[in-house]
Amino acid sequence: MSVLPDNIESHLAAAAPSGIQLTSTTNTKGVCTSWCTLANKDDLLSTASLMKSLNARLSTITILQPKAKSAPPPKEGETQVAPSFFGGSASDGKTFEIDYHFDIDGDTLTLIVHVPYGGDVQSLTTLFRCADWPERELMELYSVVVRGHPDPRRLFIDPGIENAVLERLIPFSTLVNSATTKGLWEKILANKVSQS
Amino acid sequence: MSNFTIPVGPLNVALEEPMYFKVDVHGETVAHVDIHAGHVHRGIEYLVTKRNVFQNLVLTERICSLCSNSHPQAYAMAIEQIAGLTVPPRGEYMRVIADEIKRVASHLFNVGVLAHLVGFESLFMHVMEVREMMQDVKESVFGNRMDLGAHVIGGVRYNIDDDNLAYLKAQLDRIAPAVAEITELYRTNGSILGRTRGIGVLSHANAIDCSTVGPVARASGINYDVRVKAPYAAYDRLEVPVHVLPDGDVWSRAMVRLAEVATAIDLLRQCLDTLPEGPTSCTSERPPIPVGEAIGKCEAPRGELIYYVRMTDSPKPERVKWRVPSFMNWDALRFMMKDAKISDIAIIVNSIDPCISCTER
Repeated sequence: MSVLPDNIESHLAAAAPSGIQLTSTTNTKGVCTSWCTLANKDDLLSTASLMKSLNARLSTITILQPKAKSAPPPKEGETQVAPSFFGGSASDGKTFEIDYHFDIDGDTLTLIVHVPYGGDVQSLTTLFRCADWPERELMELYSVVVRGHPDPRRLFIDPGIENAVLERLIPFSTLVNSATTKGLWEKILANKVSQS
Repeated sequence: MSNFTIPVGPLNVALEEPMYFKVDVHGETVAHVDIHAGHVHRGIEYLVTKRNVFQNLVLTERICSLCSNSHPQAYAMAIEQIAGLTVPPRGEYMRVIADEIKRVASHLFNVGVLAHLVGFESLFMHVMEVREMMQDVKESVFGNRMDLGAHVIGGVRYNIDDDNLAYLKAQLDRIAPAVAEITELYRTNGSILGRTRGIGVLSHANAIDCSTVGPVARASGINYDVRVKAPYAAYDRLEVPVHVLPDGDVWSRAMVRLAEVATAIDLLRQCLDTLPEGPTSCTSERPPIPVGEAIGKCEAPRGELIYYVRMTDSPKPERVKWRVPSFMNWDALRFMMKDAKISDIAIIVNSIDPCISCTER
């Protein structure tokens, strides 16, 4: 019942010359879920425009820092190979994985890119207007740079808080900017004095 | 006429949830809207990675009040996919029942608040009174008025006995004519039509551009409902009509919601009439959850809710990400409010049925 074209794999491979890894499953109710890992994050824009031409809707974007994979023990006479993701980004616990979840008339196709720590990724806002907020959110959660975002302000987290909140432990009271009611009030008064 | 920038919110724009709109006005007409979010950001996406799979079922239910049932449902669906669990038929019907009860209450709340914003207080109170019958159902069947606590991984944790079945049917027979009467009022009443017809228009093209979901999208002519496009629970065995209107104004959004209330009542009746016997959950134990990732999608009252879950070898998920329907619909307000009058701002904001605690997590 999948609404994806049968030759979706060759379309995706043509849009991402560096290589793709595609898996698909269809559940008992006929809903298809596909995962497509791109070898090179720079192929993102071309594959996303393929999704646009298929009338896909960008549902949301997930960013995470996957735990480092444990490397298999080296065979005799071989040197230890550092674990890596498809495409060669190091699986060191710091590399970012960004998942772009697309909805195509009920089916879900997720484009996956790996971005080395401190790296950047192209904004999808030129293709999908709704990428605006999710990209602003991922920029405040992790220290990843989205290139070409038209409005890279903070979305939810106060600009006064240091960047990349999911990369470190932040006490909840600090996160919500109200350690104590008195502390907050004094902060407001101090701001008022410094402004006047 | 002069140009001003006026603050709308963060408190009490339409409901008591905080969202701040910086509105540039020319005379009385809105020229530009800037949306500032973040007033109820609680970092729940961080918290879920510090709790195990089963504790998170409780936490996700507390993200939002009006769609509290949809969060654990989509989350459980994702976990069940990873673990390869199949919900038994009775459990699937029970999930639909919980879902549709919440939808009736949620939609009635929103159209009720619309009457309040229009200034039609007696209608507001009447709608809330009708909604109260559904609140009684929740309290009687689930023991709670808001958080139903219906779901477990692998099914549901409540059951409907013969007494509750008869009670539920009797309540539906009381609610259905009241909803029909309310719908007729919204269709014909001059006070309602005067304040909602042609107000806050979102064109079909803009609705697609903003990737709107739920009643907001359907009122702008987008035929999309997760229950039909990506069926889950027992929806593949039920008759689910999708209500679509072409005009995209505040009135259309209210009418889509009212039509969906009638459909929800019909779905509840279909479920109660054909409720299969058997267990409500595939396991009474806490099943082992293997390594994997999955997506769970369901139609919350406000539209498509999507959950992404990644499990590693830890009992705590490595990442859980969810995107609530309101998250997509905020952007559409910029188009709806363009050239609107200041006095219509609250009505327009309410028409997307915004949920801020959901949006900001």
